[in-house]
Amino acid sequence: MLRVEHLTKVYETGTVALKDVSFTVEDGEFLVIIGLSGSGKSTLLRSINRLIEPTEGRIIWNDIDITALDEAGLRRVRREIGFVFQEFNLVERLPVITNVLAGRLGYVNPWWSLFYYFPPHDHQRALEALAQVGLADKAHNRASALSGGQKQRVGIARALVQNPKMLLADEPVASLDPVLAHSIMGYLERLNQERGITILCSLHYLDLVQRYATRVIGLRDGRLVYEGTGDDIRHMTDEEFKQIYGEEAQRLGG
Amino acid sequence: MKAKRFVSAVLSLLLPGLGQVVAGAWARGVYIFLGIGTLTGLTVFTAAQRARFPEEVYGLSFVVLVRLFLAALLTLAVLRLVYEAVARRVVPSDDEFARRLANTFFVVVAVVTFSLIGPLMLRWALMGQDASRLLYTTVLLIMAVVLAGLWWWAVRDAWAVAEAQAQAERSPSWNGFIALVLVGTLVLGTRIVGIDLPKAIREYKETGRILGDIVWPWRAAFDYEATELRASALVQAPCPEGETGPPVNEPKEGEPWVVVTPTCGELSVRDAKGKLQYGTLLHIRGGGFVPGKVVKIKWENPIGNEFTPRGLGPTEIEVGPDGTFESELYIPDVVIPSFAQGPQIHKLHAVQPGALRFTGQLSREMKLALQAMLESIMIGLMATFAGMIFAVPMSFLAARNLTHTLRTSPQGLVGGVFGLVLGGGLGWTLARQVATWLGGLEEAPVRVAFIGFVLVFGAAVLGFRLLGWGLDRLAQRLPRWANAAIRYGGFALIGAALGWPLGLGYAHGILGIAWDPNDAAAAAPGLARLGAGLGALAWLYLAYRWGDQGVVPIGQWIYTATRTVLNVVRSIEPLIWGLVGVIWVGLGPFAGFIALTIHTIAALGKLYSEAIESIHPGPIEAVQSTGANRLQTIMFAVLPQVLPHFTAFSLYRWDINVRMSTVIGLVGGGGIGFLLIQWIRQVQYEHAGLAVWLIAITVSTLDFVSATIRKRIV
Repeated sequence: MLRVEHLTKVYETGTVALKDVSFTVEDGEFLVIIGLSGSGKSTLLRSINRLIEPTEGRIIWNDIDITALDEAGLRRVRREIGFVFQEFNLVERLPVITNVLAGRLGYVNPWWSLFYYFPPHDHQRALEALAQVGLADKAHNRASALSGGQKQRVGIARALVQNPKMLLADEPVASLDPVLAHSIMGYLERLNQERGITILCSLHYLDLVQRYATRVIGLRDGRLVYEGTGDDIRHMTDEEFKQIYGEEAQRLGG
Repeated sequence: MKAKRFVSAVLSLLLPGLGQVVAGAWARGVYIFLGIGTLTGLTVFTAAQRARFPEEVYGLSFVVLVRLFLAALLTLAVLRLVYEAVARRVVPSDDEFARRLANTFFVVVAVVTFSLIGPLMLRWALMGQDASRLLYTTVLLIMAVVLAGLWWWAVRDAWAVAEAQAQAERSPSWNGFIALVLVGTLVLGTRIVGIDLPKAIREYKETGRILGDIVWPWRAAFDYEATELRASALVQAPCPEGETGPPVNEPKEGEPWVVVTPTCGELSVRDAKGKLQYGTLLHIRGGGFVPGKVVKIKWENPIGNEFTPRGLGPTEIEVGPDGTFESELYIPDVVIPSFAQGPQIHKLHAVQPGALRFTGQLSREMKLALQAMLESIMIGLMATFAGMIFAVPMSFLAARNLTHTLRTSPQGLVGGVFGLVLGGGLGWTLARQVATWLGGLEEAPVRVAFIGFVLVFGAAVLGFRLLGWGLDRLAQRLPRWANAAIRYGGFALIGAALGWPLGLGYAHGILGIAWDPNDAAAAAPGLARLGAGLGALAWLYLAYRWGDQGVVPIGQWIYTATRTVLNVVRSIEPLIWGLVGVIWVGLGPFAGFIALTIHTIAALGKLYSEAIESIHPGPIEAVQSTGANRLQTIMFAVLPQVLPHFTAFSLYRWDINVRMSTVIGLVGGGGIGFLLIQWIRQVQYEHAGLAVWLIAITVSTLDFVSATIRKRIV
């Protein structure tokens, strides 16, 4: 179970990205975070594994206070939390397999890994992860040679070899076309349902939210303004919609 | 209204720019004043320059200058007033083009007038002065005219500005001012730099010959064999009674021959006054040589030295159409070594030089130059490699995006500093112990230095990490008062430790120079204590400000310190590091290597760190979020991104280093520069030309190669 308590982040420039955000995520949930660009979704996700240091508040995951961990402790927690990025964040010049193996860095002997050496069973695991996302034949291509959808699948494979208990996905499909978006979301859904991995995912498109979310929270200007289930989104009132997206927002279609 | 214009103009006549200021154009007035003031100052400086009798000439030049200036201003005013009177009638005031044409015409007329009356002005200005002491009279004349023009312009401008301000128009143009300042600056610049075209033309002739040797030195790159026709005859001297000397030669068919009669005679002798008393006259006949060409007569003394006997008869004789020649020669005044007593056998040679024959062998100098060139390339290569090794870690410390995440608590800082000092001290003690086991620095320099470095550096870093980390962790569990004690106590100690040497340094370094060194030494302990006290106070304030939740941006400090060191080292030219290298390890390529390595570390460190700063932050985030540590993040997210840039920069640096290593030789750093400067000093311009050519070929080849590879990589 993940508990976020009174989380606040003020950047050095003075921007308040998150303000007193509290919520709870049960194990195995597929939580979607919605909100406009700049509403604090990325900051929230990055605060959970402390890629961004929160200014105030606590993040407690399975009784571990992540915000109080030292560097070594943080690394141990991070390796159990996968992260999928909007821009994929692959190291373009390295082969696909190495990008995936990077997911094992928290587990392997750090000295050996400095020479790009990974034990055979880690290689095996990486190849299996690639097979799961359908890219087994691309293992030795350069990452830069892949298409956007393929890159995101490598990103998922990298998170997979971490053997994660939780997966954070920051707008994983925002750079992809609608068909690819569904395919990528499908992978996440399968991980959620088959392996019981808790997923926290920020999304823009409400149809995707309705289709995949078990729970939804909405952020606006760094504040938590909405909490509901996937079904609630289907029946969301105009008032609730405007609360998340602002008075100016127009609701299209469903 | 009109009065204001007049006042402005008069004010600007008194002090250029003042009228504009009064009229309200503040900045304009300042610019005019600065422009004219600077130019006037430079003119006075030039007038006083290189004077052989400074104290007199300064006054003299100044008087001349003032007179010249007044004359020019007067002439200009007259010219301008006449022009305006005429122009008002002739030029239609609404025709812009006609007005400009008329202005241009005025400038031409003014230039012609001044070049005509210039000598007159000069004569008047120099009246009653000693003209021979004054240098650059023409320059001063031109400058006086330019300054007068500027003054006049400023007056006119003040008038126009006052008018424009009154009517809220745009201020008039700067063109005249800029043109005059430019002319004045160029004239003065020519003088100060000493540009002297006539001299350059006059003295080119000698240079042309030398330049020819340098531009096309390839004759000196190869060895040649001289093919010559040679015939010899033996002559005995002195000739005691009854002796006849060696047998007389016989003419031969098909090969050169020479017959000398008699073959026995007396040497010429130089008497006490240095006058030559001729010896026996020899009659020389020769044949079998190439017709129409010259035969040279040479003499070889008994110990085998060959020379041309001068003043004793013709030494260069033209061969007749049948290949024979005839001549006469007195036996030369050969100084016989004291050990050679009695009659000696000398040789007379008739030599006809032939064409030089190309042997296909490189000359000795060419071989030397090639060797030295290779040495230069290798100095550059080795310096680049050594530089890279040190530059890579430096660049990580000098990259903002890597260091700025390094932070610690104030308690952590205290722990880190104490760990650094404790670890360093422990390492030092250990290293000294190990050094004595190994037999000291003299006995095993590399091992002692290496082990010493590893021990001291490693222990310091380890202490820094352990105690810093330890206290940082501990601080979270300690009560408030304990944290405060650590912070205040630790900071006070750090401040005192920093202040102490500062106080000592102030006493010995600054006061020691200003005062008696003994006084400074006496004051030193007190000042050191004062420094320590002040340092402690300053750091106590820091401890108070940061509080126990404070964040010490230690990464930022490391970044700034590394950058500063890199910048300072980089701004000192490799040539100067070369001098350091020569003092350190003596003449030779090793000194050049040291110089280039030091500069390469700084230059590459900066280039590398900038490459690191420009990478995508995304992969770093991604690798960090897998639980990777700092080193792993660098290896997996940073290095792959920067490696192509690192390679490109290193290649570029190799290219620079080879170019530099040719210059480093000039200060004794080995390589081809060393050879080049030697040959230039020995006036062997052809050989120097070889070196220059080799450098040019190598550098441009390398430039091309490195550019091609770089294009492929990035």
